[in-house]
Amino acid sequence: MEGTTAESELIIVNTLGLHARPAAKLVQTALPFKSDIYIRLNSHRVNAKSIMGLLTLAAAQGSRLQVTCTGPDAEQALEAIRALVDSGFGEETWK
Amino acid sequence: MDTQNLPVNRKQSIPVARLLDRMSEELEFEVIGGYQGIGRPVLISDVNRPGLALSGYLDYFANDRVQILGNTEIHYMEQLSSALIQRRLENMFSFEIPAFVLSRDLRPRAIFLDMCNRMGIPVLRSRRSTDEVISRIIVFLAEEFSPETIVHGTALDCYGVGCLIVGAPGVGKSETALELVERGHRLVADDVVTLRRRREDNIYAETSPVIEHHMEIRGIGIIDVKSVYGVGRVRNSKRIGMVIELEEWNATAAYDRTGLIDEYVTVLGVKIPILLIPVRPGRNIAIIVEVAALNYRLKELGVHPAQQLNQRLMNLMSDEDA
Repeated sequence: MEGTTAESELIIVNTLGLHARPAAKLVQTALPFKSDIYIRLNSHRVNAKSIMGLLTLAAAQGSRLQVTCTGPDAEQALEAIRALVDSGFGEETWK
Repeated sequence: MDTQNLPVNRKQSIPVARLLDRMSEELEFEVIGGYQGIGRPVLISDVNRPGLALSGYLDYFANDRVQILGNTEIHYMEQLSSALIQRRLENMFSFEIPAFVLSRDLRPRAIFLDMCNRMGIPVLRSRRSTDEVISRIIVFLAEEFSPETIVHGTALDCYGVGCLIVGAPGVGKSETALELVERGHRLVADDVVTLRRRREDNIYAETSPVIEHHMEIRGIGIIDVKSVYGVGRVRNSKRIGMVIELEEWNATAAYDRTGLIDEYVTVLGVKIPILLIPVRPGRNIAIIVEVAALNYRLKELGVHPAQQLNQRLMNLMSDEDA
């Protein structure tokens, strides 16, 4: 896809990890952006616009996700996802 | 479909412990020596029978493979003098060897086991025949070392043809899959499809062990196809015969109107036929996928409808000329 690439490592901070509800929020956040958004955990890479994909990551608290956005709105997409993940998806976070 | 930039996972090595763990049930392995070396890496998906190495010929010794000892090797070792076998084994063990596997519940010479224990080379023993042990280990290792990747798409068995449906998020892959399942076809995986290359030129789609046959349908949420439609509508793996790429209808794009030219996409180094299907409201994609699968089967049987029609037309025109 044309455009720029933005990449960053994000850490899952909420206690329950990336379960179904946070995954749904992440998809909702990613979907409006035109960019291709991929999330990688170790050697496992999935599309951030797919709930089932995110669930297969089984990303527990403390997991380091490599987020790669490519496209015309890559920077904005990455910032939106960063804000969501850093907020712990509005769930309880570990002190 | 962008298949060039897929991250490919391929194991560089597996520990002997994994071979033991995964093959224990099939081959009834017991470890009879060299326990401490159980973490040794196996780097190559092949085995070797070290008969020539035991007889002293070590040029081209395939030391980096799992070494299989059958009747021949064990009985050959038995008739050597202690001093000679010690020297031969010492020479052999100067190479890095991942593990020994004995078949037929064979009992090796004490000196062999002593040396394996000292060097930390695991010795596994099975009750099965040598050819059985060899073929199963080779199949297992080939599977372990096969390259795999994950694609965002849906895989189904449609009339016996493995179809991989890909396309942008929201284009209707899951809905198409659901309708195909409803029509009696089988789901392999939705959203997250693991593709694995087997036997050089076959690509298999596999179900993810985490999500199995669950799928997400917008507006409903997560459903389990196996529970809703039954076990007859799912399967865990299927060889992919064709790729179907769904695309929002684009008035300016030139879609294939004749089917005379076969397009291919390369996945993990294997060429697979691909069809680009435009989607727009009112177009029943499931039926189009069904027809594509049946047409694929016809072509596999050597019948190419588009070419045949064209040939008939050309014959007709040349008759008129005459």
